[in-house]
Amino acid sequence: MLRSVSTTPSAAVAVENRLFGALAVLRAVVLLNAVGLNIYRAGNFERPAAGAACVAVMIAWTGFTTWAYAGPRRRTALLLGADLAVAVALLLATPVVKGPGFQASVPGYWVIGALLAWAIHYRVIGGLIAGTVLAVTDLVVRPEVGQAEYGHAFLLVIGGPIVGYMCASLQRLAAERDRAERSAAAAEERARLARAVHDGVLQVLALVQRRGKELGGEAAELGVLADRQERQLRALIQAQDAVDSTGPGSVDLVTELVGLERDHRVTVSTPGTPVALPVATAREIVAATRSCLENVERHVGPQAPAWVLLQAFPDRLELSVRDDGPGIPAGRLDEAAAQGRLGVTGSIRGRITDLGGTAELTTGPFGTEWEFVLPRPPSH
Amino acid sequence: MSAEPVGPVTVMVVDDHPLWRDAVERDLTEAGFAVVAVAADGRQTLARFPAARPGVVLLDLQIPAPDGVAVTAELVRLDPSVRVLILSASGEHADVLAAVKAGAAGYLVKSASREELLDAVRRVARGEPVFTPGLAGLVLGEFQRLSETPDPGEPHLTDRESEVLKLVAKGLSYRQIAERLVLSHRTVQNHVQNTLRKLQMHNRVELTRYAIEHGLDAE
Repeated sequence: MLRSVSTTPSAAVAVENRLFGALAVLRAVVLLNAVGLNIYRAGNFERPAAGAACVAVMIAWTGFTTWAYAGPRRRTALLLGADLAVAVALLLATPVVKGPGFQASVPGYWVIGALLAWAIHYRVIGGLIAGTVLAVTDLVVRPEVGQAEYGHAFLLVIGGPIVGYMCASLQRLAAERDRAERSAAAAEERARLARAVHDGVLQVLALVQRRGKELGGEAAELGVLADRQERQLRALIQAQDAVDSTGPGSVDLVTELVGLERDHRVTVSTPGTPVALPVATAREIVAATRSCLENVERHVGPQAPAWVLLQAFPDRLELSVRDDGPGIPAGRLDEAAAQGRLGVTGSIRGRITDLGGTAELTTGPFGTEWEFVLPRPPSH
Repeated sequence: MSAEPVGPVTVMVVDDHPLWRDAVERDLTEAGFAVVAVAADGRQTLARFPAARPGVVLLDLQIPAPDGVAVTAELVRLDPSVRVLILSASGEHADVLAAVKAGAAGYLVKSASREELLDAVRRVARGEPVFTPGLAGLVLGEFQRLSETPDPGEPHLTDRESEVLKLVAKGLSYRQIAERLVLSHRTVQNHVQNTLRKLQMHNRVELTRYAIEHGLDAE
């Protein structure tokens, strides 16, 4: 039942060390208080020599425990047991030393040193046990139990577990923080290693696709596969770089758009710095862009090239999707709209206007180009 | 069309992956280029460059130290007429921009086809910048970023320059841009080259300012 903390030892021990350090100061304060009060009330002692001996024990024990608790390895059940036993013994000695009609016990508040040591080391259970033992002893030795005596006992019983609980919480928090720090360091190292590994893989993929294309046939198929893998890997690396620079709930639009690059067909040009946007906004922009690219594939051809350009200004984003196709025949869009078929064009425009932006479509023999202008959230 | 230089274009290939280096070397030789040196890392590059004196350096960004950016700066310092063409596998934006600012004449991803690569080498050898749409996007973004800083000394693009650069980033060829803006092919090229020059000039000004502020010019 009274196990030492089982989480990360270093963090738990560090917390205990701090708390025992604070307790050492507290012990000195309550010792001064107890010694002072006993000197002040020296006339109340039936056996002054025994009283002086009790005070001497308190001074000696405070000195010893301050040293003993400073070393984590010395915090044994024996030490904690002895600590509590000394406090109990001093309480029990009070009627003998002061006579049966005493008002204040000899150790007084000094007993909280033992109580808090138990709470720190054994947490809630330890605080409860030590608090109960001290409270019961205090009540047993008293000739009569009044409101004040009951109040003190009650404080001992609830104070122990509360401090124990707080100690356990601190240890858990410290362990969590340690874990978080360790995983952050590990992630950084992993990212560094990944970069080195990825670069090698990218080189080989680039080589495979280059040679594959030249050899033709089945090798060309391998080349196409290598190309696809290379694009995906590059998008992943960019996503990794952007993780640090965007806050929670937001993503980097640059990374998301780069994921749309395809086998030499779709080229995505962006600024070199991340463009952080709320996840939902970025997803809508990417979805609209993807629709445009699918349109190119459908109407111009499956191998038709397309270009995406993102420009980020302080107040707005400009995004264009362009192809080199023959353009949309004049009147076809109006005709479709008149028939109530808004189709893809309508959905692209809808997505962008829902985000508070504008979507312009230019088409002609030079090709087709969508231009989106979107307000940029001021959080930037 | 400007005249081709006398004799074959001399090229140095720098890459730490032997497979890749050999493939590129073979392609270049078959296409009539003279590969005058190869190197596997930054130190070898700087050691072999002065003797080889290539017209074009094909440089991988991710090489053992000193890295591609530092090597670019040093090569351009040693020989301002050298054309450094960056070939990067991972296309990491920050590195590519840094290399271009350090004086690289162009940038290609390694997945570019053989023909694209050979064409790029021919073009940089002729003194044309190799401006992929991707690089144009990065440069536009960089000028935008600079314009947001309060320093009035930051370089900025003229309206025409950013218009041209924007069209490059949208994938239009110089010919298409010339047609659309009713300019000559040569003028379009000059606009593109000017944007690079401004960025590189700015970089040199920054470096000089840094050197003066830190007392590095004392010697």
